[in-house]
Amino acid sequence: MAREFDHLFKLLIIGDSGVGKSCLLLRFADNTFSGSYITTIGVDFKIRTLEINGERVKLQIWDTAGQERFRTITSTYYRGTHGVIVVYDVTNGESFANVKRWLHEIEQNCDVVNKVLVGNKNDCPSRKVVVTEDAQRFANQMNIPLFETSAKENINVEEMFLTITKMVLRSKLEMKERQNVTSNDTVHLKRSHKTKKKCC
Amino acid sequence: MLFGANLQRSYKYMNFASKMPSLRIDQNDLKCKNGCDYYGNPQWQGYCSKCHREQMLRQRRAEKASSNPSATLPRPEQKKPERGTKQASHSSFSKFEEKRLRQSETLAKKANLLKFSVFKKSSTDDHDHSERRAPEFKVPPMVNEGMKRDFRTRFPTLGAETDRDARVFVHSFIMDVMKCANVMSVDELSERVQRLYQRFMKHMDTSQHFAHVDSDTKELLMDFVEKHAMNYLHDLPSVVFSPSGTDDERLDRAMSERIQQLSWVGERHLECKLDRRHAACRQLLYKAISELLGMDSASSPGGKLTRVRRCCRHVLALCGAPASADDLLPALIFTVLKANPPRLVSNINFVTRFCNAQRLMTGEGGYYFTNLCCAVSFIENLTAESLNMDKKEFDCYMSMPASIGGSAWAAALSLCGASREAEEQREAAQRLLQDARNMSERAAALHADAVCFQEQIAKKVEDVLAKTPLEIKPRRELPRLCKSKTAIVTPLIDLELNPTPAEPQTAITEESRPLVGYTVPSEDNSQSSQPTIADPVPNVEKDSITDRINNTDTVQPASSIHELEHTNTAKQGTQETEPKLNILGFEVIEKPSPPKSPQNLDQTWQLKQTSSLELLTPSPLGFTPFDSRSIDELMTPDEFGSDSLAPGLSNINYDIDLSDFSGDNSVAEDPPKEAKDPFSPEGLKKAFDPFAPQPTASTFKEVLDKFDEFSLTDNKTNRTFDPFDVIHRNDPFSPERKEGSSILDDSDSPTTACLLPSPLQPQSSNKP
Repeated sequence: MAREFDHLFKLLIIGDSGVGKSCLLLRFADNTFSGSYITTIGVDFKIRTLEINGERVKLQIWDTAGQERFRTITSTYYRGTHGVIVVYDVTNGESFANVKRWLHEIEQNCDVVNKVLVGNKNDCPSRKVVVTEDAQRFANQMNIPLFETSAKENINVEEMFLTITKMVLRSKLEMKERQNVTSNDTVHLKRSHKTKKKCC
Repeated sequence: MLFGANLQRSYKYMNFASKMPSLRIDQNDLKCKNGCDYYGNPQWQGYCSKCHREQMLRQRRAEKASSNPSATLPRPEQKKPERGTKQASHSSFSKFEEKRLRQSETLAKKANLLKFSVFKKSSTDDHDHSERRAPEFKVPPMVNEGMKRDFRTRFPTLGAETDRDARVFVHSFIMDVMKCANVMSVDELSERVQRLYQRFMKHMDTSQHFAHVDSDTKELLMDFVEKHAMNYLHDLPSVVFSPSGTDDERLDRAMSERIQQLSWVGERHLECKLDRRHAACRQLLYKAISELLGMDSASSPGGKLTRVRRCCRHVLALCGAPASADDLLPALIFTVLKANPPRLVSNINFVTRFCNAQRLMTGEGGYYFTNLCCAVSFIENLTAESLNMDKKEFDCYMSMPASIGGSAWAAALSLCGASREAEEQREAAQRLLQDARNMSERAAALHADAVCFQEQIAKKVEDVLAKTPLEIKPRRELPRLCKSKTAIVTPLIDLELNPTPAEPQTAITEESRPLVGYTVPSEDNSQSSQPTIADPVPNVEKDSITDRINNTDTVQPASSIHELEHTNTAKQGTQETEPKLNILGFEVIEKPSPPKSPQNLDQTWQLKQTSSLELLTPSPLGFTPFDSRSIDELMTPDEFGSDSLAPGLSNINYDIDLSDFSGDNSVAEDPPKEAKDPFSPEGLKKAFDPFAPQPTASTFKEVLDKFDEFSLTDNKTNRTFDPFDVIHRNDPFSPERKEGSSILDDSDSPTTACLLPSPLQPQSSNKP
C-alpha cells in the first residue's frame, strides 16, 4: 500500500474570462508565469501534491471556460468537486460584479463546497479598481476567505491554494468522522434492506 | 477522407435509425441466437437445431441441479475461488443474488407485459433477451480466454490468484448486469455497476491476493476489469449502450441533425483562434476529429475516454500556446461541430453511466470528458445569443440547407485528409526506397564477396596447381618418358657427338636425321646471317650481348668455311669438354639424358633458355630437342607452361623472323656487304647453304662432309632432306624447300600433332 498520496482533491477555478485563472493555475502547479505566451500545453489540467499536517494531498485543479455564454453549460464541471476558487480581476470591476453570479452558479450545482475568493492581478496599484475593503466586505458577507494575489509576481498564490486545501481537508476529515458515525446507520440500513427482502 | 467517410456513415446511420422504429425483421434476427451463423427457427426458440438441442440438454441438467439442494448455483466451480477468500459474505451474497434473480424473473415478466404496450423498436429485442437470458445466459468462454491472454501480457508480474479473481469478478459482473438489465432502469443499473466497481476495489484492498499489489497497479487492474466486462456488454444490443428505455438513440439522431444544421458555424462565431489556411492547424484539427470519430468504435468506457483525451490534446495544441479552458472549450465545440461523431449522445451517456465514476471525476480523461460534455450541451442549447449574433441572422443560417454551410472547412479538412494520405504514401514510398537502397547495398556486398571468393578460389587453384603437378605428373610419366627419350634422343646425341658412328643410328631414327640436319646448318646460318645483320643492324630482336659475343665468336672463326668447320669442330670439341656452349651443351646434356630424370631435363632446358642462340636460330637444334622434349612437356605441364613452350615459341618466331630476314634483307642484298666483311661472300652465302648441302659447289660438300662428322653425315646420304631444311627455312624462296619429305618426317614426330603443328609446314605448303 505504497500510495503517493493520502487524499485526492479536485478543485475548480472559475471566474470571468481573462481574469488570470490559467495563470494562477500555472503559477501554482509549475511555478512559472508567462505574460505573453505559455509554452506548456495542457494548462487546464494540473496536478500538484502538497503536504499538510503530515498528510499528502494530491490536488487536481480544473480550469474552466469563463466566457459568459458557457456559464450555463459548465455545470458538469462541478461534479465531484471538493473546492472552488472564484477569481476576479482587481483591475476589472465587471469581473468582480460577476462574482455574485458565479457564487450563485456554485450553489446551484453543488451543495457543500469550500470556496475562496481571489482577486488576481494585484500587482499594479495604479490600475487597481476593486478596492480591497469592498472585496473584504463582500467576502465577509458571503463568509468566504478573500485573497488578493498576483500570478505574475507570485504574491499570495501559494497561500491561497494552501488555504483552500486545508479547508477541503478539514471538511473531508469532518465528513469522515460523520461517516464513521453514520456508517453504523448504513449498516442498519442494509440490514433493514435484507429484512425487507426476507419479508418479500 | 476519413472524415468524409464518417460523415457518410453517420448519414447511413441516420437513415437506418429513422427506419428502425418500423417493425422490421433484420437478417440477423433470423439467425441463431447463439450467433453461430446458422438460421434459427421460432419453433426452436430462435436457435438453430443444434444449438437448440444443446440448450435443451443444458436446461434439463440445470433443472436437475436446482432440484439438488447441494448445488445452489448453476456454475459453482466458477464462483469457488472468490468464495475461498470471503466465504461467509459471498455465500450470503449468493443467496441474495438468487433471490434477486427469482425476483427479477417475476419482474421481467411484468416488465415485458408493460413493454408490449409501449410500441418501441427495441421492445421485441428486449423481450427475446429477457426470455433467454434470465434462466440460461452464459458468458461465452472467449471472454474468459481473452482476459487470460490480456492479463498475461499486461500484468506479467501478478500471480495467478489475481488473474483468477479478476476473471471471476468479470464473470459475475457480466452475469449480474445481464440479470439486472431488464429489471432496472438505466440509472439503477448504472448505480449497480458503480457499486460493483467499488466492491471490486474493496476486494482488492482487503484480499490477500492483492496484498502485494501497489495502488497504481490496482487502478490498472480496475481499468482492466472494467474494460473486459464492458467490452462484452457494449456489443450486446440495448443492454448498456443506448439501452432500451432511454431516449439515447433518438437523441443521437437529433444531435446529428442539429450538428448538420450548425455546419455553418465557423471559428469566428465561437471566437476561437483557428486558421484554416494554416496547414499545421488543419492537420491538428483533422487528427482531433479522427480521434473523436474513433470514440464510437472503442467499446469500453476506458477506451472511449482515451480517445477523448487524445482528441482534446490535439485541440489544446490547436488552441496555440496560451492554452486555457477559455480557449479549449470553444475549440472543442468547433471540433465536435466539424466532426459530427456518430451516436454522440449514446457514447457520452454510456461513459457517464458505466465508467468507473472515480475516474470520470478525476484525472485528465475525466477533465476532457467533462469538457466534451460541456461542448455537447452547448451545442444542444445553442442559440443566437450564445453565438453573439443577431437572432435574425441566426434563424437565416438555421433555415439554410445543411449542405451549404461550412463547405470551406469541409474542403479544408478533406484537403487535410488527402494531404495526410499523400504523406502516408510518401512515407511508404520512402520506405520502399530505403528497402531498395538496402537491397542494392546488400547486392554490392554480395558482389564484393563473390569477387573476393573468386580471387580466393583462383589463388587456391594457383596454389594447388603450383603444388600438385610438380609432384604427381612427372613421376607418373617418368618411365615412359625415358623410353621415348632414349628412343629419340640418343641418336641425336650420337649423331652429333660422335659424328662418324652416327650413320647407323640415323638410319635407325629417321626423324632425327633432318633435325640433325638442321642443327648444324641452321646454327651456322643463324650465326652467319646474324652477325651480318647484327653488325650493321644491332637492333636484332632478342639479341642479347652474350648472343653477339657468341655470334662473333662463331662468326669470326667462321669467316671462311674451313674455319667454320674448324670452329664447329673446335666447338664441338670444346663442347664435348665444356658443355657451356649452348648448342653443344645442349646436346651434351642430351647425351646423359637417356637415363633422364626431370632434373636433368630441367637443366637442359635451363641451358637452352639461357642460350640465346637457340632463341635466335631457326633452331633446328632447338627444334629437335623441342620435339623430343615436347613429350616431356606433355608429361609435365609445368615445364610445358614455363620452359618448353618458350623455346618452342621462340623457335617458331624465330623461323619466321629468319624468313623475314631472308625475305627482307634478301640473301642477294646481304652478300655484298658480307662479302666484304666476311672472308668471302660466297663462303657466306654458302655458309647458309653449305650447312644445307644445297650449294653445288664441291667445297661445300666437303665442308658438309666435315660437318657431317658431327651432324650431317646423314645429310650426305640423304641429301634430299638436308638441303630442304636449311634453305627453305632461311630462304623461303629457294626452290628446294619443296622437298617435303623431311617436313613430313617432322610432322611424323609424335609431338607435332599435339603440340606445335610445325609452323614451317604451312609456310612451305602455302608458299608454293
